[in-house]
Amino acid sequence: MRAWIFIAVAIVVLPLVVRPVIASEIWIFAIFGLGLNLLLGYTGLLSFGQSTFFGSAAYVAGWLLKHYGINVFFALGIGVGVGALSALVVGYLCVQRSGLYFIMLTFALNQLFYFVAYQWTTVTGGEDGMQGVPRPALGGLDFSNPLLYYAFVSALFLASLYIMRRVVESPLGRILQAIRENELRAEAVGYNVPRFKLLAFVIGGAFSGLAGVLYAMLFGIVPLEAISFVFSGNVVFATLIGGSGSLYGPIIGSFVFIWLSESMSTVWARWPLLLGVAFVIVVLFFRGGVVEAWNRLWRFSRQKTSANPSAR
Amino acid sequence: MAILQTKNLGKSFGALSAVRDVSLSIAEGSLHSIIGPNGAGKTTLFNLLTGTFPPTAGQILLDGKDITGAPAHRIAHLGLARSFQRTNVFPAFSLLENVWVAAFATGPSWKGLVYKSTRNYPQAAERARQALADVGLASKQDHLAREISHGEQRQLELAIALAAAPRVLLLDEPAAGLSPEETRRMVALVRALKGRYTIVLIEHKIDIIMSVSDRISVMHFGSLIAEGAPEEIQRNPEVRRAYLGGIAA
Repeated sequence: MRAWIFIAVAIVVLPLVVRPVIASEIWIFAIFGLGLNLLLGYTGLLSFGQSTFFGSAAYVAGWLLKHYGINVFFALGIGVGVGALSALVVGYLCVQRSGLYFIMLTFALNQLFYFVAYQWTTVTGGEDGMQGVPRPALGGLDFSNPLLYYAFVSALFLASLYIMRRVVESPLGRILQAIRENELRAEAVGYNVPRFKLLAFVIGGAFSGLAGVLYAMLFGIVPLEAISFVFSGNVVFATLIGGSGSLYGPIIGSFVFIWLSESMSTVWARWPLLLGVAFVIVVLFFRGGVVEAWNRLWRFSRQKTSANPSAR
Repeated sequence: MAILQTKNLGKSFGALSAVRDVSLSIAEGSLHSIIGPNGAGKTTLFNLLTGTFPPTAGQILLDGKDITGAPAHRIAHLGLARSFQRTNVFPAFSLLENVWVAAFATGPSWKGLVYKSTRNYPQAAERARQALADVGLASKQDHLAREISHGEQRQLELAIALAAAPRVLLLDEPAAGLSPEETRRMVALVRALKGRYTIVLIEHKIDIIMSVSDRISVMHFGSLIAEGAPEEIQRNPEVRRAYLGGIAA
């Protein structure tokens, strides 16, 4: 409950602090992170190919928006569908392997999709990206107003968070964690492990797809980077910094990552160095990311006050 | 009436044949032990029975139906549950969550798998609590599996198998690494389960085997060398030779 209040306050305050475009990007990236974290945090699968689903959905929905002027909800539905479907195909191939081979497969298939997008310039625009993706109005709501679009993105983010919470608190969520904890035993008690991993992929892919379409409509372009390994890496990065062990970790990660990249990149071209430092600190000292750092700080301050009752 | 049967079961890893021509028949409701020196192929036999890997020869029958080559997760649904020789639990889960995962797997319905809260499956929860109570861990249900003692982890190992409400229980050295006191408790536990389940037991400690088994099969170098009631096995010269090497021969 406290977390929801926190998020509600953040949604209201954020556009007052940063430009609405960046505020929207934060929540979009958070949706992307939620999808990855079902794989990374809950199932223990490091997917280095999440932009495959993000980019594919953005291209397909972007194309339809641009040439057929489809309705916003239809575009989002298409995005979710394309994200899930591409994740079904990629996931099917990847879950056959584990460990390092799994990671390399997600990466290699990402590269495959990237080069298709790179070469197929008539559709994707190649290196120039798919330009001129419109942001059509919905009913009476004119989304060319950035604040209105921000509200729309925020609402979808809240819906995504609610759905993801239902998923991780369902039997599926617990089974995925059981697979992370002990794959052999999960199989022995009666779960078809590759099938469950695939299901995690598909759900994660649907979230990535939703984020991809929102991203395309936000910037009016699908850049080639949206399907590149850099984007896949960014979401892993952000999720780990935020904390992959918690439902809310990727949200905090998205906040830190987007805020840093947008505010620092204009000031200092070498800003990724800061991210690198943050990452090293997380890996060395706070495996649970910002969420764990916060929890430790909280416990530390509580201990101090309780260890010293006479001071009160 | 045999509930579980193998016919000429074999498994080779390259040139090594770990299990050779094993024909077993486990009577329903009995406690059937499999003994043999280290490396005799007992655990490999369990891995074959539970579908961890497929056999290279022979057949496995459950209730007369051929289940040879079925994968592990399907075997679990057919009513075969195992415990492992080396503790194999879900470390970051509470004890109740450990057994709940097993109870849910073979539970009556997976309806609501992706959206219903785990709290809304009363049957799985009830079965999970019962399994913990059966092994005497009910009072520790909220402890994490990685934080309890080795002896308790062995009990949990057993509870996970029980939570599946199996028809045949395969126990792979439940007393491995236990102190004498803990061993006594584990033996009492196995004895209490006897009759409620058909049990196949692998064990090293001969005194345990002799006191609880209805029937004993002896494995040596991957083959069955003897089978019979505990008294017969105790007297069998070939068994003595296998256990004591050349000395007694």
